[in-house]
Amino acid sequence: MKAIWRIAKATFHEALRHRFLNGILIFAILIIGSSWAFTYLQPGAELKMLVDVGLGAIRFFGMLIAIFVGVRLIPDEIEKQTIHTVLAKPVTRGQFLLGKFFGGVATVFTNVALMGIAFGGVYMIKAPEFREILPEKGTMISMEFMGPNIAKAIGLTFMELFVLTGIAVVASVIFSWVLASIFSFFIYFVGQTADFLRELASPEHGADTASTIIFGVLYRILPHFEIFDIRESIMKDNFVPWSLLGNVTAQAMIYIVVVLMLGYLFFNEREM
Amino acid sequence: MRLSRSYKAIILIILATLIVGSIPLDNNIRYRRLVLGMKQPMPLTKIVDFDPTALTGVMIGAILGGFREVAAAMMWAKVHTLWSTGKGTWFDALYVMRTVTVLDPHWIEPWRITSWHMAYNLYVETDDAKQRAILLDKAIDCLKEGISWNPEEIHLYMDLAWIYFDKLDDYEKAAKWFRATLQMEHPAHIDRMIAHAYEQLPDIPKALDWYDYCLKRNPNDPIAKGATLTIRERYLPAWRLLEAGDYEGALALLNQYLEVDPSDVIGRHVRAHILEEAGRLEEAYDAWQQMSDSSALDDLARRKAAELGTALGKDVAPVATQVLRQQRPDQMTPLRRSEKR
Amino acid sequence: MEGNPVGLIDLSLDVEEGQIFGLVGPNGSGKTTTLKLLLGLVFPTSGSGEIFGYPLGSLSYKERIGFVPEGPYFYDHLNAVELLRFYGSLFGMGGTEMEDRIEYLLKVVGMWDRRERKTGNYSRGMLQRIALAQALINDPDLILMDEPTAGLDPIGAIQIREVIRRLRDEGNTIFICSHLLKEMELLCDSVAILNRGVVCRQGSMEELLAGEDSRYLASFRRLDEDSRQQLQSLAEQIEVKGEQYLATFADQQSAAAAGIAMIEQGAELVEIAAQRLTLEDVFIEAVGGIPE
Repeated sequence: MKAIWRIAKATFHEALRHRFLNGILIFAILIIGSSWAFTYLQPGAELKMLVDVGLGAIRFFGMLIAIFVGVRLIPDEIEKQTIHTVLAKPVTRGQFLLGKFFGGVATVFTNVALMGIAFGGVYMIKAPEFREILPEKGTMISMEFMGPNIAKAIGLTFMELFVLTGIAVVASVIFSWVLASIFSFFIYFVGQTADFLRELASPEHGADTASTIIFGVLYRILPHFEIFDIRESIMKDNFVPWSLLGNVTAQAMIYIVVVLMLGYLFFNEREM
Repeated sequence: MRLSRSYKAIILIILATLIVGSIPLDNNIRYRRLVLGMKQPMPLTKIVDFDPTALTGVMIGAILGGFREVAAAMMWAKVHTLWSTGKGTWFDALYVMRTVTVLDPHWIEPWRITSWHMAYNLYVETDDAKQRAILLDKAIDCLKEGISWNPEEIHLYMDLAWIYFDKLDDYEKAAKWFRATLQMEHPAHIDRMIAHAYEQLPDIPKALDWYDYCLKRNPNDPIAKGATLTIRERYLPAWRLLEAGDYEGALALLNQYLEVDPSDVIGRHVRAHILEEAGRLEEAYDAWQQMSDSSALDDLARRKAAELGTALGKDVAPVATQVLRQQRPDQMTPLRRSEKR
Repeated sequence: MEGNPVGLIDLSLDVEEGQIFGLVGPNGSGKTTTLKLLLGLVFPTSGSGEIFGYPLGSLSYKERIGFVPEGPYFYDHLNAVELLRFYGSLFGMGGTEMEDRIEYLLKVVGMWDRRERKTGNYSRGMLQRIALAQALINDPDLILMDEPTAGLDPIGAIQIREVIRRLRDEGNTIFICSHLLKEMELLCDSVAILNRGVVCRQGSMEELLAGEDSRYLASFRRLDEDSRQQLQSLAEQIEVKGEQYLATFADQQSAAAAGIAMIEQGAELVEIAAQRLTLEDVFIEAVGGIPE
């Protein structure tokens, strides 16, 4: 455990110093900080736009950070051969993989938390202003659960990005980091519309046996990233039950375990 | 150290168990998201079936993730440019509009304007009944999809009801969608619109019931007052005779009024309706045809004339609502027994 | 150890405790592959191997080894102390024991004064010293080194050689892979020559360099004509290099006798020395000569 912790810590400290990463973070915070400026695009739905742009930016830039961090963690070590000195010590490949993953997750967490804090600040300043104009415009958005729902949405974004980081790390063990980036983006996008695969696999939709099997298996194997998106509930101001968050978190944990085990199988066979 | 084959097999078994074991959890999450309204209410495959261009929106949405709304807003600005400058075809603008509704389904304006463009502006661009039927069909689907995303948005129900009323002359469906707004805070004219729809159908007793309802809500409603008096005086007696099977009596009563006010649209509709019910189809056809010829706005008369003409073996041009009723019977109220020929 | 026909074939090395062992060979001979196999970074396609009685890749022997990579690179953001703390912690070290060990090692490799500087700002030589220090953090029984002096300037190479010798003198066993034959000749107690995955020669440096037909060389200056003729009659061969006459003798006695005779005739004796083989000679012979 100590080896995993030390590797994670070193990974985290090194990743935080990455210029490209810092560039993305600064840009993201600028976008989030100015998210209220986008509200003029949809008059009458200012609050919705503010929340959409803020949470959307956190998710979008978080995704970029998770993939960028994830795919470089292990290839960088192999390229610079620092992995040789670490694996020459009493450290298993599994511990190394986990250490890198947790280091990556900590980096993603920190970046997303900073974006979340930035958005929280903007929301607290601008939301009361937009709230005042709501009744005049006759919009359907009430405000009862919005604050807590935003916090829950950010929490689920953490989970989503942890899964994505795992996928990126594991992909980088199997492919080159460039290919791993493309692969991770692909999985993320397909995962966002996983329901589409399910529909394509449905005989009710007229799928033949081959399509049912292929799309059905794909649907089961691919992570369903849409389960982390609760913006619908925020827009409708529905209470998001804790039990649902618990289930989604459990599902995220299963995804992470599956991905890391798969990564372990490949990483353990890899020659360096 | 390398893993032995047996260890690898154990890991693979654990992996498979986790994937299969998580199916109930996944199903539970899916179900709960559906119940809580977090899931897309309309299956993607269905949306794409309705309109393949919607796939563009799905793709852009997936790629942009969080910036769907900003992209939608920017594309909407593009729609205005396309529409107002006349650059590109109107159908180009339609595709962009459809993409906007997919990108940001909670933005009400694109649903309303897209359907309005289809049912009105693009509708008059063509004389082809089939094309018009497609446009009306898509306009209805567009609003229905908009309602599925935004079930509390009254304007979408009102727009849908109005298209049924004004463009499809399906007054039963119009009344149904107007009625759907009653549980919400709604403007007073909606109550009258329901009555008016039944008046147009024509279903005189129901129309009267709804005008009574309007007067209960607002005893000083001058329109409801006037309409109630007119119905009771002009149409109700004839309608009662129609219900009793006395077609001649009913026609005689109505004709008295129509001699005084030959432009009374509802009266003429009721008269043609009585002729149909009496089985005097040639006369009914002539009545509808006359109304159609005398008023460009009387879509009901045009559709009735086309349907009756076709049934009677006359050489008549089809109308859009007739085509739509044949192609998408689920979109419109089925014809009543007396209308089926 | 048995490996595949492409990389290493039937490799068996005897490394004595407390000595510097060198594995030399041309590029592509399998030196680095050998080290990677020992570290568990690559796997034999067939066969197996052991270190300290443990199978290759096992964590048990990694507790007892240290590794110095070729052209080392470390986490840029860490300074020397932080870096050694990181590596020490991987052995479960901590507290004052680790801090004392770090101070000792940084002093041994001459980096104590520069311990606060980030490794990203280190020169090649400094990185090599830190690489040595990190390999020693666990006080290993066996230190594996890959080209420890490659790419260093002469002073840097001398300093690293001194540290390696000091480690040997303190009882550590050192295993070096290199293609720098002169360096290896200066450093190693024993050597194995690897070519195309096969060990061609193996033994102590003395054994390898002690040829059966050793000659003796004497060099003279200021020889007159008579002396030159006499020297020619006594020596097997004479070579003139500027003012110097280099004479080769079959044995030590002939060389000594010629030396005395020349001094008596007023010539200057510069040096008498045994003509030793170099590792390069042994290597070229072992790998079958220099290819055309």
